[in-house]
Amino acid sequence: MKIALLELRRQPRRFGGAVAILTLLGALLMLLGGLLDGLTEGGTNAITAQRADLIVYSANSGAKFAQSRIDPATAAVVAGTDGVTDTGALNVVQLGARLPDSGPRDLVGVRLFGYEIPPAGVGAPPAAGEAYADVTLRDRGAQVGDVVLVGSQKSKVKIIGFVPDTTYVLEPTLWANVETWSSIVGANRPSEQLGVGVSQSLAVTVTGDPLAAASRIDAATGGTTTTLTPAGVVEADKGVQSQNATFGGIIGITVLIAIVVIALFFALLTAERTGLYGVLKALGARSGALFAGVVAQAMILTLIASLIATALALALEVALPPGVVPYSLSATRVISSVGSLLLAAVVGCAFSLRRVLRIDPASAIGGST
Amino acid sequence: MFLALKEMRRSLGRFVMLIAAIGLLVFLVLFQAAIRNGLVTTFVGGIENQSAPVLVLSTDALRQLSASTIDAATQQSISSVNSVAETAQMGQVVAPVTAGGESRAVSVVGYSNAELGGPTTLVTGRLPQVAGEVVANLGDAADGFAIGDTITVLPAGLPLKVVGQATDIDLGFPTLFTTFDTFTDVVRATNPDAGEISPNAIAVRPQAGVSGETVTAEINALGDDVDALTRSQLAEQSPGVAQVKTSFLLIFIIFGIVVPLVTGLFFLIVTFQKAGSLTLLRAVGVRSAALVRSLLVQVFIVVGLGLVVGIALYLPLSSQKLGNISLKFETAVVIFWSILFLVLGLLSSLVAARRVLAIDPIEATTGAGVGR
Repeated sequence: MKIALLELRRQPRRFGGAVAILTLLGALLMLLGGLLDGLTEGGTNAITAQRADLIVYSANSGAKFAQSRIDPATAAVVAGTDGVTDTGALNVVQLGARLPDSGPRDLVGVRLFGYEIPPAGVGAPPAAGEAYADVTLRDRGAQVGDVVLVGSQKSKVKIIGFVPDTTYVLEPTLWANVETWSSIVGANRPSEQLGVGVSQSLAVTVTGDPLAAASRIDAATGGTTTTLTPAGVVEADKGVQSQNATFGGIIGITVLIAIVVIALFFALLTAERTGLYGVLKALGARSGALFAGVVAQAMILTLIASLIATALALALEVALPPGVVPYSLSATRVISSVGSLLLAAVVGCAFSLRRVLRIDPASAIGGST
Repeated sequence: MFLALKEMRRSLGRFVMLIAAIGLLVFLVLFQAAIRNGLVTTFVGGIENQSAPVLVLSTDALRQLSASTIDAATQQSISSVNSVAETAQMGQVVAPVTAGGESRAVSVVGYSNAELGGPTTLVTGRLPQVAGEVVANLGDAADGFAIGDTITVLPAGLPLKVVGQATDIDLGFPTLFTTFDTFTDVVRATNPDAGEISPNAIAVRPQAGVSGETVTAEINALGDDVDALTRSQLAEQSPGVAQVKTSFLLIFIIFGIVVPLVTGLFFLIVTFQKAGSLTLLRAVGVRSAALVRSLLVQVFIVVGLGLVVGIALYLPLSSQKLGNISLKFETAVVIFWSILFLVLGLLSSLVAARRVLAIDPIEATTGAGVGR
C-alpha cells in the first residue's frame, strides 16, 4: 500500500492521463445528472410545492391541467367524500409576460396559476389583479410592486411577493386567486376559459392515509376522476418517466465506460509492474496487499478526478445564464456521481486481480511469471 | 504491419477492452444524437413539414403555436400587407383522446387551406376532405393512429378518422392535421365552455419573387403584437429547441474529448511498455516510418472496430420510440461521428508516434529506450 502511495507521489505524471479521462467522465456524469434534475425540478416544482395532500383531475386528462375539467357537481362529490377536509380549485395557463422597462418584443414565458389552497411558501390567495411570483422572475428583473402585463390583451398583474421553488414546465410562475385567473384567461385565451364553478383540478386536504382517500374520491365520482398525491402526479408524468429512463440509461453506460477505462488503465499498469510485483512477493508481500495498493491508487485517482469534475460542474452552473439550459447540480447528485465513479474504480481494478494473483515470486530470481 | 496484427492477437484482452470502451462511447454518442434529433423533430416537426412558408403568431405566444391568438382585425391587417399574396388560418390545440384503447393527449392542427398550412410529407392515404377526417404522424401508427383508426376526442366523444399518414409532423404530442372546421369542433369537444375560437396563427404566402424575410419584416412593421417568422425561423426558435441543442452540445464536446484521450493514453502506455522491443527492431534495421505505420494501423483497426461495435449496439435502438420521441437511424450522423472519431483517434496517437520516432537504435546496446 505504502509503495503504491509513494508511486503516486513520486510519479504523478504517469497517472495524469487516467485522471484527465476520469475527470471528464465524472463531469459528464454530473452534467447528465444535473440536466436530469434541472428538467425534473424545473418542470414539476409547482406540483411538489403543493401543501394539499391530493390533486383531483378528470379521468381522461392524463393528470394534465390543460386537459382536465372538474365540474361543480363532481367538486361537490369530492368535498363530501369521507376524510376530505378541504378542497380548492387549482388552474394554470401559459402566457407571455412583459416586465416593466422591457422592450415591446422582450417577453418572458410564465405560467399563471389560480389557486385556493396555498402551496408551500405562497401566501393566501391575493386580492384581484395581484399575484405572488416565483423567484426566477426576480432573476429576470422583476421586483415587488411591479405590474406585469400578461397575454395578448396585456392584462395587468401586480407582483406582491416572491416565492421559491415553484417553477412549472421550466417557466416562472405567477400565483393569483381563481377570479383573477379566470378573467385573464377569458380576456387572453377565450378558447381555454372555464364555465362557472368549473376548475381544471382540485387541490384536496384529507385526514388519514392520502392514498386511501384518493381511492375513496375516485370511487365516489364513479371513476370520472383521477386522484393522485403531488408526488404521484410527478411519477405518473410520462414525460418525466421517459426522461428518467433515458438519462438513467445514459448515466449507467457512462459508469460502465468508466469501469472499462479504469480496468484498461490498471491492466496496463499491472502488466508493466509484473517484475516488480514478483520481487515484492519474493520478499514476502502478499497478493492481497499488492492488490490493495492497486485499489488504493485507483480510489485516490478517482477522488482527485471527482474533485476536479465537481469544480467543473459547479463552474458550469455559475457560468450558465438562467434559462439557457435546465441544469441544477445538487449535493445528492455530486455524491451519487462520485460514489458511482468510486464503485467503477473498485470494479475496474478487479480485472487486474487475477494477474496479481498469478505472479510467481520465482520470477524475481529468473523464473517464469 | 504483420507485427502490429500479431501483437494485437497476442494481447487480445487489452485491445478488446479498448475496443469495448470506444464502442460504448460511440454507442452513447450516436444514441444521444438520435435523441437530440428526435426531440427536435417531436417539438417542431409539424412546423417544418407544413406548407406555409411564413407564419404569423401573436408576440405574447413566445413562438408557441398553441399559445398564440390572432383576432380578425389583425388577420385583416396582415392580408393587406403589399408583399402578402394569400393568407389562411391555422390553429393548434392539445386535446385528450382515446386512441388504440388508451387515453392520451394529442396535438390537433387545423388549416383552412391545405396548400397553406397542410402537411407536406404525406406518404400514404389522402388529406381530409370532410369533417372528422385527419392525417396522423406515420411514426405514431402503432399507437392507434394508423389509416382507418378512429380517435375519440374527450370528454364530448367526437370521433376523428385517420385517412392519411405523413412523416415527422408531431408538435410535442402525437399530432393530427385536419381542416380548420374540424379543429374548432375539437376545441369545443375538449372544452364546452370555450368562448370565441380564433386562429392561433395566420399562414402567409408571399407575392411571387418576394422572400420570406422581406414579408416577415413588412408584417412585423404592423406593430409589436404580431410576430412573423419564416417556417425555418419558427422551427429554430420554438420553445425548448435551443435548450435541447445547447444541452446536447455540452455533452458531445465532452465525448469528443474522451474518445481521443482514451485512445491516445492507451497507445502511449503500450508504446512505453514495448520500448525495449521497438529499440531492438530499430537496431536491426527496421525504419521508424514502418514502426509508426504499424502504430497507426493498430489505431485505425481499434477505432474502426470500436465504431462497428458502437453502430451495432445503436442499430436496434435506432428504430425504437422513447415516449413520444421516434428515434431514427441517420446515416449522415453516423458518417459524421465515424469520421470525427477516426480522425481524433489517429491524431491522439501522434504523441505515441513521436515517442517511436525519438527511439535511438544505439540505446539497444545501453538498455535505454523510449524515455518517460
